[in-house]
Parts: sequence; C-alpha cells; structure tokens
Amino acid sequence: MTGPTASLSHLSRADGSASFKCPTTGYNVLGSVNAPIELPARRDALKPEEATVEVFVKPGNTTAGVGERYVEGILRTMLQKVILGRERGFPRRGVVITLAILGGDAVERGDSYLTLLPALLQTSLLTLLSAGVPMSMTFSTALLAVTKSGDIISDPSPVDAKTASSLHVLAFSPKGHLLLNESQGRFDFDTWESVRERAYSSCRGAVITGSDGDIAMGEEGEDSRAEDFIRETVEDHLHRDYAWKIDSA
Amino acid sequence: MAPPAATAAPSVPPSLSLPPSQFARLQPHAYLLGHLSPPSASNQPSIRANGRAPSQFRVTSANAGSLTHTNGSAVVRIGDTAAVCGVRAELLHTEDIASWSVSQASGSNKRRRLADLGEKPTEEDEDEDPEEDRAHIEDLNLLVPNLSLSTGCAPGFIPGAAPSALAQSLSHQILSLLHSTRLVRADDLRVWYQPPNLGPEELERHNDEEQMDVDAEQSATAEEKPREIKAFWVLYIDIMIISLAGNPFDAAWAAVLAALRDTKLPKAWWDVDNETIVCSDSVADARKLSLRGLPVASSYGVFEADAAAGWRANVIPDAVEENAQAQKDKKGSPERWILADPDGYEEGLIQERACVVIDKEKDGKTTIVKMEKNGGWTVDTEDLRQLVEMSARRWDEMKRILEQC
Repeated sequence: MTGPTASLSHLSRADGSASFKCPTTGYNVLGSVNAPIELPARRDALKPEEATVEVFVKPGNTTAGVGERYVEGILRTMLQKVILGRERGFPRRGVVITLAILGGDAVERGDSYLTLLPALLQTSLLTLLSAGVPMSMTFSTALLAVTKSGDIISDPSPVDAKTASSLHVLAFSPKGHLLLNESQGRFDFDTWESVRERAYSSCRGAVITGSDGDIAMGEEGEDSRAEDFIRETVEDHLHRDYAWKIDSA
Repeated sequence: MAPPAATAAPSVPPSLSLPPSQFARLQPHAYLLGHLSPPSASNQPSIRANGRAPSQFRVTSANAGSLTHTNGSAVVRIGDTAAVCGVRAELLHTEDIASWSVSQASGSNKRRRLADLGEKPTEEDEDEDPEEDRAHIEDLNLLVPNLSLSTGCAPGFIPGAAPSALAQSLSHQILSLLHSTRLVRADDLRVWYQPPNLGPEELERHNDEEQMDVDAEQSATAEEKPREIKAFWVLYIDIMIISLAGNPFDAAWAAVLAALRDTKLPKAWWDVDNETIVCSDSVADARKLSLRGLPVASSYGVFEADAAAGWRANVIPDAVEENAQAQKDKKGSPERWILADPDGYEEGLIQERACVVIDKEKDGKTTIVKMEKNGGWTVDTEDLRQLVEMSARRWDEMKRILEQC
C-alpha cells in the first residue's frame, strides 16, 4: 500500500501552502493560509484578544453548501485550539485557511464528510507549518471504518466507507491526547475503544511505556505512521530549501 | 488568570459591593469557577452558576401537534432554548424524477408490507432492502431539513439575515443524522399503484396463492403486473429556534424527533382515470410514520479551571503520564468539569465540546449512533465512557418526555 504524498509551499502569493494526496481514498486537497492578516469586518470580533480562525472549504465540482459549512466548523474549532492566536501580532487579526478539493469523490448532499475530514486536517496542518504560524502542537489523524462483520479497516476506500456500519475519524496530539473524535453509524463503546486503539497505533505506533517512564516504540519497521509522515514532509522541504547551505558546508 | 480573591468573591461579598450579576458579566470565567470550586471552608457543594449539578440537564418539555397546517409539528423547550419544528409533506411524482427508471421500481414488488398503524416494527427491519431504502431517501432527497436561527433568538443573530454558518452546519448535522440513523422508512414515503389485472386468470390466482412463488418466474409477467411506485412523499422539516440559550443541536434534534413522531401522512393513491395522485380527506385514513428507533442527542462542554490553558505556549504533559498523575491526586479539586447541556453563558466559556447520540434497543442495549468530541485534549476514553452512560440515562428521560407529548 502506498502512503499519502504531500508537498509544501508551492503557491507563491500565499503565506503558506501545501497539497496533500491520499491514494487509497483518492482525495487530493490543495490548501493555502494567510496569517496574520487584517480582517476588515472583524474589528469587533467576539474574542478580540485572540486571532480569528477562518476556514473555507471549496469542493471540486460545485459551490460550497451546508456540508462544507459543517466541516469548516469542525476544522475551525480544532485549529483554533491548536493555533496560538495570542502570540505577538495575532490578536484582532485573522488566520484564513482555504482548502480546495481537487480530486476524489464528491460529497453528496447530506453525506457524511468524515471520509474527507482527515485529508482536510492534514492539509491544513501542513499549510500552517509551511506558513510558520505558531502552534501549540501538531496532530496526526486516522480514518477508520467498522464493517458490518465487525472488522476494523483503516483508510477505507469510498466504497468501503459507504457500506461500513460506522465511520470514525480521530486525531491525536504528539503527546497522545485525543484531540478530535467524529464517529458516525451504529456501534457500541467497546467497538469504539478498539477503534481508538487501532487509530492510536496507526498515528503514533504502538507505544509501550517502560518502567522508567521512557516510551519504547514497538513495531519499529512500520512505515505508515501518520505522525512521521508530517515530520518527513517538512524535513524534505527544509532539505530542499537549505540545499545551498548544506552544499557549501 | 483567576486570582484567589476573585474566586472567592461570589460566595464572600467583598467590601467593594458589586452585585453577582455584574460580576458574572465582568469576570465570567472566575464567576463560574467560583461556583464550581467553592472555598473548602464554606461547606457548599460544587454547583454551576445556573444552579445545576455538572451532570444535570435543563428541564425539558415537549408539545406535539401545535401547528395545524403541518403534517406534524412539535415544540421542544430545553431550559430557555426553544425549537419549533414543522413537517410538511409534498408529493413528488416519479415521472418528475429525471433519472427514475422502471427497473428501479420493479425490484421491490415482492415485499408487500402493510405499514401498521402505531406499531413499532423492529423485526421487519431485515426484510427491507437497506440499499434501496437508502437510495430512495438519500438520492431522491426525500428529507429536507432546514434550520433557521434568524428569528431574533439571541442577540448575536440578526433577524432576517442570511443563514449563519452555525445554522447551516446544524441543518447539515440534522440531515446527516437522519440519513445515518435511517430514522424514516422509505416505505412510508412511497405511494404504490397496483395495475389492475384485466386478464381472466384473476379468479384462479386467489385460490393458489401458495403456489405463486413456484411458478412465478414463468407466469409473473403474464399473470400479475408488478406494483409500481407512482410518487413519493417529500418531507420538508423546518426548524425554527425561537429562543437560543445554548445547546441548539439537542433542542433542534428533539424537535425533529417529536415532530416526525407526530407526522401523519394522508392516504394517497393513483387515480388511473385522471392520471393523478389523489389524497383522502379523512383523518382516519391518514397513517403515522413508523420510525426506526429513538435516537436522543445530548451535548456536553468542558469547562477548564485554568483559563489560560488554551493559549499559553505551555508544555502539555504526555497523555500517559498525565493519566498516572490524575490517578494519584484524585482527591484534589478537579481542573476541569464536564457540564451537561451547557447554557448560553457557559457556552461562551467552553472550548471543548462533546456530543453523543444514543439509541436503545428493545432489550435495553445501548447503541451509539454518533459521537463527537472536538476543541480540546482533556476528554478521553474514560470521560467518553461516562458521557455515554450519562447519555443513556438522558435517553430514558427523553423517551418519557417524548412519549407524553
């Protein structure tokens, strides 16, 4: 199975940009961020002491509708917590993230947006990293589906997601906190717990805490940890940016 | 953020006289924190500023059938949040559906199910094709919910303005929950037509009903014309939040549920001579929808003692260590409270939210239909387990309220 691919900072006018492509689900998202910028209409914002986070999601083939408003709301609540909106220069200003869905199945009216949510979250994180927006933490996401027979599959294809009995999107902080959970469909709590375990290991690798409090990573060879993916993408980009320096050294 | 003096202020009036209502406006966080963690000297229980215990929901009332011009309606009030929901049914002729093909209709002809009045069917779930059910309701958009907040329900929402992002996202949540719970049966919304059998074999057919299945393959086309769908009922579900004091989703969903339970569709049939759908005037002919289950939504908010927790560039401890730490000082005052059914005042102080939609089967088994948690990192498995239990208790309460209305 090939993992997702991403590239950073290829839009020259935006403060930060990234594109993210997931081969299993087929989604291709292009994101840009401008921060901090003046928002003319938001002078009397509800919370003047911190930056307003605005997220716009643009589907590939139609105008944005109620479904996009909903997913924008999820992204906004999530990112508002992660972005340090009180850093110097940010209060009363705005962080505007625009995400355009370039490829993949269109989300129909009333369909769940969960299949697309991880791709959107990953893209927005990468754009924020590319723009250097101060954040309290990064995060990694997982999309899991529970089939009718009770099997848990990670990164289900659109067909699997349609027939699944429940869909789950989870996001974890690098310290292992559950940042986001969106679950839909019929399931019980025990199922959810095993879904969480599975998501945790796919995001962070299986973690065994040693007696001395050190964390030993199990399954060293596993290549598809979502957390590493973000790190590798940023590292690759930095290598390219600082090639002149590395070469001359 | 909150100095100790300010924390104690609501319980011990300082020399500077400031009525509690003003203090609540000036220092909302300290005010709520003062209520939740009273000084240990004063023997007060930890209670919210609105007088509720952290896990207590607001008083809920529901009233169905208030609007006479709708097919079903309900008013649900949760504390000071009130939602009115009206369900209006309109006919959609299959000939008006561009993609409607006869092949789609003919497959369902064998399942001739009579929708019994008032009966709660659970066993017959199996014999309905879920894929077709989904295709009809979702692809033909037979359920059209719309939520309006532009009623002057709260100062932040200008009456008559375009639907806000919140209203749109709530509309989507309701539609998506209607779809994922498969609450409404597609069969309730179909208007069937059985073409008359004009051939002479009509009489014989009644005698050997048992043998029909055996030789159906050869003679079905000749003997019986398949039943066909002539129209669908489209349900327009309009929700108006007439007063908003926090937690609009629970109120709106409860209103939708109560209104759908109240909805009666008139008896409709295809009139061959006029080639149109005719509806019966008589109320006795109308039948109620038979809904699948009773999913009940309950929302929660997490109030953090440290107001700066959200924005300070602090080092957040590792989740595993933190859990161990939390086990150690269990006795100490908690750093956060999970507040059930937050009101408008509390919602302004809350960043992390959770929403659980629960349904219970006949045998009392709890099924989670939707579980959301967003905007923070304090709630994890153990808290969610408690929230599910709390929501299960709320389900019993809501069931009682909805059955009485």
